[in-house]
Amino acid sequence: MLILSRKLGESIVIDDRIIVKIIRVDGDVVKIGIEAPASVPVHRQEVYEEIQRNNQQAAVKPGLPLPKISVVPPKT
Amino acid sequence: MKPAEPIEPETAPKASSNLVQLPLGLLGFEQMKNYALLADPAEKPFAWLKVVDEKPLSFVVIDPFVVFPDYKPEIPPSDVSFLGIKEASDALLLGIVTIHGPNRATMNLKGPVVINRHSHIGKQVIIANAVDYSVDHPLPVAA
Repeated sequence: MLILSRKLGESIVIDDRIIVKIIRVDGDVVKIGIEAPASVPVHRQEVYEEIQRNNQQAAVKPGLPLPKISVVPPKT
Repeated sequence: MKPAEPIEPETAPKASSNLVQLPLGLLGFEQMKNYALLADPAEKPFAWLKVVDEKPLSFVVIDPFVVFPDYKPEIPPSDVSFLGIKEASDALLLGIVTIHGPNRATMNLKGPVVINRHSHIGKQVIIANAVDYSVDHPLPVAA
């Protein structure tokens, strides 16, 4: 892993087009600004972990009895 | 190249199957790439995404719009091009359902599975507006 030291207001540039800037440091919380093209997805890592956990919880053996759900008809 | 038959889980006859390939697998199940999308009319609005050639493993899925018409997922452009989706009607969206018990089920709206109806290639997409949605959105279960 590349480790860089940055001061408040300083940035790093990734792939000539993604700018990661230190916006604020407040105790153990660092506020980071990210400037990236719309085509580059940026998410907190927790989102991946949350979806991974959800998938593991959702995985079932085939043939599970399914609950009846009442469907809300789409608005017209 | 002749396109494959469109996937119609809502109208598929009982025991019909449609093969779907998820080249990246599902998050946490990266090694499982081949699935069959199975729909039994008696189980509407649910369908099954069943792992092929592997362990007996399945995911219950649902068309999120059927239960949540106001769902507005933003699919990142990189995923749209990965899936070769040209227009919205090319995409089949499936929410992965967790069955918590006979009276509680939830669906994942942060990471829907998006499938190209023509190529049957799919991916679990983290929507750009994931912060607006939950991984355990409750489904209205009949009492």
